[in-house]
Amino acid sequence: MIHLYGLVQGLDDLPDLRGVDGAALERRRIAGLDVVVSRSTRELGEVTHDAILVHANVVEELMSRSRAVLPAQFGRAFTSEEQLTEAVQTKATALERGLTRVRGCVELGLRVLERGSRTDESTGLSGSDYMRTRLAEATERDRFSQELHGPLAALSRTSTRFGGASGDLLQAVYLVPEEQIEAFREHMNRIEGAHPELTMVCTGPWPPYTFADDREESHERSA
Amino acid sequence: MSPRDEHELKYQVTLVELVDRVLNKGVVLTGDITLSVANVDLVYVGLRLLLSSVATLEEQRDRELHPVGAQP
Repeated sequence: MIHLYGLVQGLDDLPDLRGVDGAALERRRIAGLDVVVSRSTRELGEVTHDAILVHANVVEELMSRSRAVLPAQFGRAFTSEEQLTEAVQTKATALERGLTRVRGCVELGLRVLERGSRTDESTGLSGSDYMRTRLAEATERDRFSQELHGPLAALSRTSTRFGGASGDLLQAVYLVPEEQIEAFREHMNRIEGAHPELTMVCTGPWPPYTFADDREESHERSA
Repeated sequence: MSPRDEHELKYQVTLVELVDRVLNKGVVLTGDITLSVANVDLVYVGLRLLLSSVATLEEQRDRELHPVGAQP
């Protein structure tokens, strides 16, 4: 099996790391693209914490040593060199576009939750008044969510908002140019200071996993 | 929340965020999932209790992925 870590641009040397199952990292040049893989002689049957961390660690190292990296999704190994070559060739144009999209950027994740429970002020309302109250609350949440998201999206090359689990005011992922990370962080701190009623969970910087695949049309483009 | 609990919670959140990305995101070149997910503990609890920032989670992640003085 051939385990794919990602596609890279401007990588000088492979990191001095072992890959999944302790295999050596290897580099392939396919359709003008650099691909980093490792080979395993056994069937990769299951995912473990260790394998995930090894994969993630290799991708992190590739990111730190190259101009751009498109992380590969774990769990999709190739049975032969021919299969790998065909897969890369088939998507070469989209992959080149993806490398251009993520070049010089990191991924930051954000979840915003409202701390504590809201006081239910709708008790005793008629059916229509209850629905109006609920609609007004939903509208206000959407407005506030956009108020939080907008400035962060503006600091990003692209961003994606998710529907979010129940209770999330905002769940989003941002592709942030490296030169904007500090501004992003400062804006996060301002939001936290201005809204102590919110819980902000911001993670990263990650390699651009969320923006790696060719789903550009689903992302919100920023200036 | 005690510092120990907060540390553990940040670890869990960071790990789950990482696992979610590695398993569910990233570029896909083939249509077939060839590996099965097993033994991956997707504990995602207590998020409401967590107040964090990019810096603290970045440090946490770095400690987990690059432990200082770790013994083989």
